[in-house]
Amino acid sequence: MTAATAAPVRHAPGGARAVPLTAARLLRIELRRNAMPWILPLIAVLFWFDSYRPSTSQPPFWILRTFWNMGQGHTIIDFGPFVAGVAAWMGSRDGRRGMADMVTGTARPRWVAQLATWGATAIWAVVAYLAFVGIMFAVYAHQGLLGSPPWWWVAVGAAAVTTFSAAGFALGVCFPSRFAAALAAFGGFLLMMLSSQTGFSHTSGWAQILPTNSNGNFQLDSGVLYPYLPDLPIARIMFFAGLTVATVGLLGLPARAGGPWLRRTAAVIAVAGLAAAGTAVGLADTARLSARGMDISALHDAASDRPTPYTPVCDHAAGVPVCLNPAYRRWLPDVTAALRPVLTESAGLPGAPTRTTQIGATYSSGDGAVPGPGLTLSGRPPVLGIPLGALNLPGAFGSTAAELTQQLQVLFVHAFVIPGAGSGTPGQLAVQAALLQGAGIPLKAQPSALTDYGLPSWARATQHALTNGRQSANGVGPVTGPVYAAAQRLTGLPPVSLHAWLAAHLTALRAGQITLAQLP
Amino acid sequence: MNVEIADVTRRFGRTEAVAGVSLETGPGVFGLLGPNGAGKTTLLRMVATVVPPSSGGLRLLGRDPASYAGRREIRRRLGYLPQNLGYYSGFTVTEFVEYFALLKEMPAGQVPRAVAAAVERVDLGAKARAKLRTLSGGMLRRVGIAQAIVNDPELLLLDEPTAGLDPEQRMMFRALLRDFGQRATVVVSTHLVEDVGAACSEVALMDQGRIVFHGTPGDLVARGQESGAAGDAPLERGYSAVLAAVRSGVAARS
Amino acid sequence: MTVAGVHSTPQGAVPARSPATSAAGLGYMAWLYLVSRRVPAALGLIAATAAVLAAALHWRWSIAGGPAAQQFIPLTLEAASAAIVAVTAYGPFGETERATGRWLPYLRLAVVLALTAAAVGALAAAAAAGDLPGGALAMLRNVAGLTGTGLLPAAAVSGAFGWAGPLAYLLIAEGAFAGSWTTPWMWPTRPPHDLGGALCAAAVFAAGVTLITMRGGRDHRAG
Repeated sequence: MTAATAAPVRHAPGGARAVPLTAARLLRIELRRNAMPWILPLIAVLFWFDSYRPSTSQPPFWILRTFWNMGQGHTIIDFGPFVAGVAAWMGSRDGRRGMADMVTGTARPRWVAQLATWGATAIWAVVAYLAFVGIMFAVYAHQGLLGSPPWWWVAVGAAAVTTFSAAGFALGVCFPSRFAAALAAFGGFLLMMLSSQTGFSHTSGWAQILPTNSNGNFQLDSGVLYPYLPDLPIARIMFFAGLTVATVGLLGLPARAGGPWLRRTAAVIAVAGLAAAGTAVGLADTARLSARGMDISALHDAASDRPTPYTPVCDHAAGVPVCLNPAYRRWLPDVTAALRPVLTESAGLPGAPTRTTQIGATYSSGDGAVPGPGLTLSGRPPVLGIPLGALNLPGAFGSTAAELTQQLQVLFVHAFVIPGAGSGTPGQLAVQAALLQGAGIPLKAQPSALTDYGLPSWARATQHALTNGRQSANGVGPVTGPVYAAAQRLTGLPPVSLHAWLAAHLTALRAGQITLAQLP
Repeated sequence: MNVEIADVTRRFGRTEAVAGVSLETGPGVFGLLGPNGAGKTTLLRMVATVVPPSSGGLRLLGRDPASYAGRREIRRRLGYLPQNLGYYSGFTVTEFVEYFALLKEMPAGQVPRAVAAAVERVDLGAKARAKLRTLSGGMLRRVGIAQAIVNDPELLLLDEPTAGLDPEQRMMFRALLRDFGQRATVVVSTHLVEDVGAACSEVALMDQGRIVFHGTPGDLVARGQESGAAGDAPLERGYSAVLAAVRSGVAARS
Repeated sequence: MTVAGVHSTPQGAVPARSPATSAAGLGYMAWLYLVSRRVPAALGLIAATAAVLAAALHWRWSIAGGPAAQQFIPLTLEAASAAIVAVTAYGPFGETERATGRWLPYLRLAVVLALTAAAVGALAAAAAAGDLPGGALAMLRNVAGLTGTGLLPAAAVSGAFGWAGPLAYLLIAEGAFAGSWTTPWMWPTRPPHDLGGALCAAAVFAAGVTLITMRGGRDHRAG
């Protein structure tokens, strides 16, 4: 130690001057000495295991590969609880290290110092999150995924991670105990688990705000036929930002946090944050499922409804052009092969399609059933619309090519014979069953085929009709009853005769004027 | 007067740690002596504006610490080294001192130079980038002193500052105290009477929460000579004499 | 000050406690050890976790995903209890304590075993509120194994981050449930009476307890 006798330059207290430089310096120290980097290797391993690995079994669409990790919030589950735990550890630092007196005795408000510590913790967490997601997206891009990345959902995840850091930090400040980190981590994890269940059982309303709720907000054509709708992500970002701001504001309320003016400001900030979060929940409550995703009218921009232009790819092997979005090119042969028998059967009949095109799908939450008729036949001349994004693409969620074939054939025949979204009259159902047998699905196999995942609600009524209401142990009854009998008679006809009868009576059949007794 | 303490009391539950202390002091080095549990640390914490008094008045650097604005102004001009120095083990020496310089609202542009100067003054320049967890106890104490002096305070409060310092460093520390005492008020709470004798121009002795002696080191020595009390050094004898008189029920005043 | 008479008790001094070989001395030492590890608070938190389990069973909290998923909320709470036990493993004294006599390993062992037993007991009592998937046997296995996953990092890396072990294992278990894993190292996916799962959980628990007994919880270097 020296006893320098040169006249000292007494530093005039800086007060509010050069605040940004002070903040930057404080932040730099905190960034360099934060505990968050210690947990990142573990998060990286879990991220690979829980977010990336399960996605690799999905078809190569951005929307499908990110459904589990982004759509159902698994990236947030991988990060959030650990971030909360480490943030709680950082928040409890002054209490654990016996620094309270020294830090209290300084001029800068306690809240400001805490903001620096929390800010560094949050920066580490968010940067790591973005880096891990970025690496995962880079791998996806290298794999040549089709469609476009869900950038809005990345922003939601970043906002959620920030909220976890704020909540954990506040818990650590309030309870500077060795248990704070464990409580923050497991409390956060339990909340995420419970929110996933809430989200699953609430397909509309306020629960749309939960980051694990994928119901209705992950239209399978997002990023392919249409851009991702930003409405719900914006609401969620507002929600998380509001919670973060409120939590940080609450830290400024205790007497030790600073002077009266600062504490009043903190109170205003906390109230504003809560208001923002509450507003976001209210906005989510107004969300309505549209063909392109969750539409929140107060946030909706009509520009996001415009379809993404594309040049279709077509196959003529089925007799009529089958045209799809180029992103689905590799399934064009499967779709063409699936439709070929039913298009051949319907060729020359009233209402037979002259062209097949891909239309946007509407994903209906919960049981995943495709609402409405599924495929559509409309226009003059009739054009068959296929919402391919809603169907069981081979590889998606364990589906096979055979299941796609079966699904397409069932949907086509139903759309061809029975107008609208209804389940049809007995006469219509018998004709439908006969045409399906002609396409390659035997009558006896049709009750089982009609239970496939991804068929509209009329499929159950059709199954009921074919089994006359009987059920076996596995829930699928044997074919029996008058509809089955009529279908059997139809399938006994020579194909030419059946075709001729349909040519003469299909219009009346569609109008519901043909009864079972009137069928040949 | 930089420090004006008027009949200040501080209670913790049923324990009266400081019981009606009155004191005034200006620039110079003021020593605070007393046995364990005398209330020195509590008094110092009140002067450091870390805890408020239960009753009585404080005026520091011409300001009232009871108001937030006054407290903030005091803290900008304050340096405080507590008895139990907490630290963030992952910080380096420079980072730790810089952290407190910034918390004391020093102008950010001047912080690097001030931090470097403070670290040099406590002879830790070679360890500036060392993590605190790698330092010995004495070095940590010097880091604590560095953060206390980084803002060139007008009021410097040091609680057991020489704990863990070797004799050579203690001598240099006393010289540092004398240097600071020329332009600031330095209050040193210590068990080591030789530190008081070497550096302090004024000394107070506390016992059971009260000031039982206030005067110069010479006055304390004289008390020892008068009473013939035990002790290896004159100041120790004065210390023992005052405490003995107090405990035998006789008030000791200079 | 001289060294004369250092080994004799000065007149009027408060006599030191007799060496901790008496039952009372051992008991007092154990109590101080418990307090230093915040064991009373840990017991309170374990009780709170058990209360949450009771509520979860009573109101049938669950995540979507079929019968396997029914176990997940209770498993989360079991992991939370294990994390609380793991976090008590490290002490505030550092080297000072490690440079003492022979009792420290026994204290570490006794407290870890007792806290794990308390966690199992509290959760078993809470299970009376509803139908605990797998029953008490599965819960015992899970808590023991999960505690081991917390004690291992607590001893090897940092006592303060002992909670990260059970949480990481829980995330992997979620994937194991979804993927219908059958490896006994993922004992929550195994039936309650499965020997392989029980042995693996016991092995992890034993490894964690052994390491903590020998080394204690590590001090953390950051924060």
